[in-house]
Amino acid sequence: MLYGFFIGVLFIIFSGKVMDYTSTDQFCMSCHVHPHAEENWHLSTHYDNKSGIVVHCVQCHLPPHGSLAHFSAKAKTGLRDAYAMVFKDTEKINWEAKRQLEAALKHTYEESCISCHQNLFPLQLSQEGMHAHLYYEENRHDLNCLNCHLHVGHFSEVAHKKIDFGFERTETEAAVVHEKAAEVNAFATFTETIPGTSVSFRMLPIAGGQFTLGSPAGEPGRLESEGPQREVELSPFFMSEIQVSWDMYLAFFRETMSEGRSDASIGLSVRQVDGVDAISGPTPPWGSPDQGWGWGDRPAITMTYHAAETFCQWLSQKTGKNYRLPTEAEWEFAARGGTTTPYFFEGSPKRFSSQTFRNRIFGADTTIINSYVIYEANSMARTQSPQTVRSNPFGLKNMLGNVWEFCSDFYVEDAYASYPEKMAVKNPTGPSTGSERVVRGGSFRSDAYELRAATRSHTRHNDWLRTDPQIPKSIWWYSDVTDVGFRVVMDWQPFEKE
Amino acid sequence: MSLEQPNRRDFIKGIGTVAAASALGAGFLLKSCSTDKTRVLLPSFLDTAPDGRVLKAGLIGCGGRGTGAAINYLDAGPGLEITALGDVFQDRIDRCRTYLKDQKNVEVADQKCFVGFDAYQKVIESDVDIVILATPPFFRPSHFEAAVRARKHVFMEKPVAIDPVGARSVMASARMADAAGLKVVAGTQRRHQRDYLTAYEHIKSGVIGDIVAANCYWNQPQLWFVNRQPNWSDMEAMLRDWVNWTWLSGDHIVEQHVHNYDVISWFKGKHPVKAVGFGARHRRPTGDQYDFFSVDFEYDDSTHLHSMCRQIDNCANNVSEHIVGTKGTSNCHNLIRDHKGEQIWTYQYPLDENGNPSEQLMKNPFEQEMVNLVAAIRNNTPLNQAEECAMSTLVGIMGRISAYTGKEVTMEEMMNSSLRLGPETLEFGIVNIPATSPVPGA
Repeated sequence: MLYGFFIGVLFIIFSGKVMDYTSTDQFCMSCHVHPHAEENWHLSTHYDNKSGIVVHCVQCHLPPHGSLAHFSAKAKTGLRDAYAMVFKDTEKINWEAKRQLEAALKHTYEESCISCHQNLFPLQLSQEGMHAHLYYEENRHDLNCLNCHLHVGHFSEVAHKKIDFGFERTETEAAVVHEKAAEVNAFATFTETIPGTSVSFRMLPIAGGQFTLGSPAGEPGRLESEGPQREVELSPFFMSEIQVSWDMYLAFFRETMSEGRSDASIGLSVRQVDGVDAISGPTPPWGSPDQGWGWGDRPAITMTYHAAETFCQWLSQKTGKNYRLPTEAEWEFAARGGTTTPYFFEGSPKRFSSQTFRNRIFGADTTIINSYVIYEANSMARTQSPQTVRSNPFGLKNMLGNVWEFCSDFYVEDAYASYPEKMAVKNPTGPSTGSERVVRGGSFRSDAYELRAATRSHTRHNDWLRTDPQIPKSIWWYSDVTDVGFRVVMDWQPFEKE
Repeated sequence: MSLEQPNRRDFIKGIGTVAAASALGAGFLLKSCSTDKTRVLLPSFLDTAPDGRVLKAGLIGCGGRGTGAAINYLDAGPGLEITALGDVFQDRIDRCRTYLKDQKNVEVADQKCFVGFDAYQKVIESDVDIVILATPPFFRPSHFEAAVRARKHVFMEKPVAIDPVGARSVMASARMADAAGLKVVAGTQRRHQRDYLTAYEHIKSGVIGDIVAANCYWNQPQLWFVNRQPNWSDMEAMLRDWVNWTWLSGDHIVEQHVHNYDVISWFKGKHPVKAVGFGARHRRPTGDQYDFFSVDFEYDDSTHLHSMCRQIDNCANNVSEHIVGTKGTSNCHNLIRDHKGEQIWTYQYPLDENGNPSEQLMKNPFEQEMVNLVAAIRNNTPLNQAEECAMSTLVGIMGRISAYTGKEVTMEEMMNSSLRLGPETLEFGIVNIPATSPVPGA
């Protein structure tokens, strides 16, 4: 009995010490071997600040000390980490991806943020901060501290880089400034040159003709919305070889950027300046829109559908042509490149996906898809240059993967059902009204199932602007999506519509 | 029984005691109720503020109400001083200064009198403890924020904003003031009237059941206007005529009617979620405002508040509130009836100096709110009315926008609206705002 008592006391003292010891930064770091976590923690405001206060690993990565959740989360993460340490190759873990919001939310506890940051309205808070924190308190169920404060615990160069698009010069821009736009006299590949900039891009002829829109009932991973299949006839058009790149988009941005927000909030894309029609373009974004992944020929991302449309108007005005976003049918025709299979290359989602039971164990065979598509397995959780992939049969790059692409059709789940069953529909443009637009092609986040040529998805306007603290929310930049972009098409013959 | 924490059972037993205690001003009552948003703390009810260290106040906005508020402040208790004045007009400062000298023998030094659109900042920086904000409401959000950041306690007149952006700014500054332990009174003086407070306690105790409908009124003759003089700029003409310009006053549905909205929100414990209203202009000689509004508000429990306000001579006048409960009705301050029309409670006002019954409170509410502010500062008890007043202001703004546009307007839209009225820059010169009133359905 007395022994039992002493053992109990010892156990409590010892377990308290164990709890303390296993909560030290040194203990965490003895296993957490990912290269930069410690280094960028030292650079972050949670370590390096003028108050000299240091915030330790467990203060953010576990629920508040003393809560029951603290112990259960500690046990769970402890087991998981020990398992990973023993059985996983830490070199192969995509640490970069783990720093992005979705992953960060799983490893950080809002209660812990709040348990230290109890005053959301200190007197030194900026006006933007006041309005943002009011917005947070009024919309708490939708928001998390990390939505705005992702990099406070681990420093990120991107988050602190001053954005100055006037000086964001890329190598290609050292080249010649184009004097005029390309002249198109034949239905053949041409290189468009944007006057007044050094930016050029290739436009490929897409011959048009008849094809079957949608996927057959048996296709693995098929969604309801991909059917019923319909015959579609398309007029010839040109399509850009690559997704609109940062080089292209920044040329537009520099020339049309609206100062302040007054112009943009009117929501008009064309305004009169000195009697000349001028395009009013995006306001400056809040963060670095490239997410720190790099500019150049990587696809431009996070612009709104409205911004993409305005880009087309601007490009049309600059080049004297008729650039626009593709219709959904044009997009799928181009993506298929004459094929009727799930991909424009050989293979099935079952073979490429990392999600199937078999592939989880034995690993997916990725040899073919790897060379054509930037997707979840090879993207390093970010966009990549189109130079890293091979073209589809029409010569187009990144039709599948890298970023989702806007189409001009409004999204309706059963859109195809409204097209005639017996005869081919000519140049369909989708439903006449709606609120969200179709996006196609999957992205660097997508699994093989989502990368099929027939996969349909759509914009999520409110979700994609959820954490934009501005009122009204930006019409130019999405705050909560990083894998959407677009490519342009151009009519060869005047666009016919029936 | 505990005066600090009256519960329902004690209350029914002790109605007389509470009424007597509060009428005598003996109890230091700190009562709280919760709305859907925040805990609202009701102020203490002393006849005079407790003594303590000297509190210096600066007055920003030296018009009639500002000067009156300064006098009320000086009357609130011992050790209270007015040491700085600020206004955009020299003549307003001169008149206020003379009045303070004549009435209270208070002299404000030359170097503590500031003129111009930045006068508020100079008053705030002039070594004061409290600022009294009594400019036209357009200026309130920026002045309030500046005062809070400088750690000043605040008395500010209602309404506290004229547009949704301003109202939200005040809410954020209010939370900042809370965090810094500052005391704020917001000029909705019905919250400082003993009759209202006593009626509130009764109704909270369930005497009329749940509140299922409400009406409120601010119908009065024409207010005032100032004709433009030939040497005045647009800005000067508008500022001197501010109660007739929406960008300065918020229109009378906000500027005056906010009192009644505030009472209904207080008693109901929540704010309406949408409004459909109408109104028009028939009589007003200057400015761009309407002469009357009629607005139907709806709450999230499907109950309604109907409100009307008017500023036209020779019409029926009425400034009051009326709430309907499942068991009775009340005017929210001195009368409760059952559904048969029988009086079940009346507020017992003190007798006047000749010993006759009166309807006057012992302490006028404009003085009472200053007493309560000073008491809260010196006793360090919680008191911050900024957010509740901002919400009541926003209710008025929602009604106004609905009447101006003819559309249904929701509180959610107000919480996300970017509407900001008034010129971009503040200077004496051209103000590009025409004297035409909005046309609904346009």
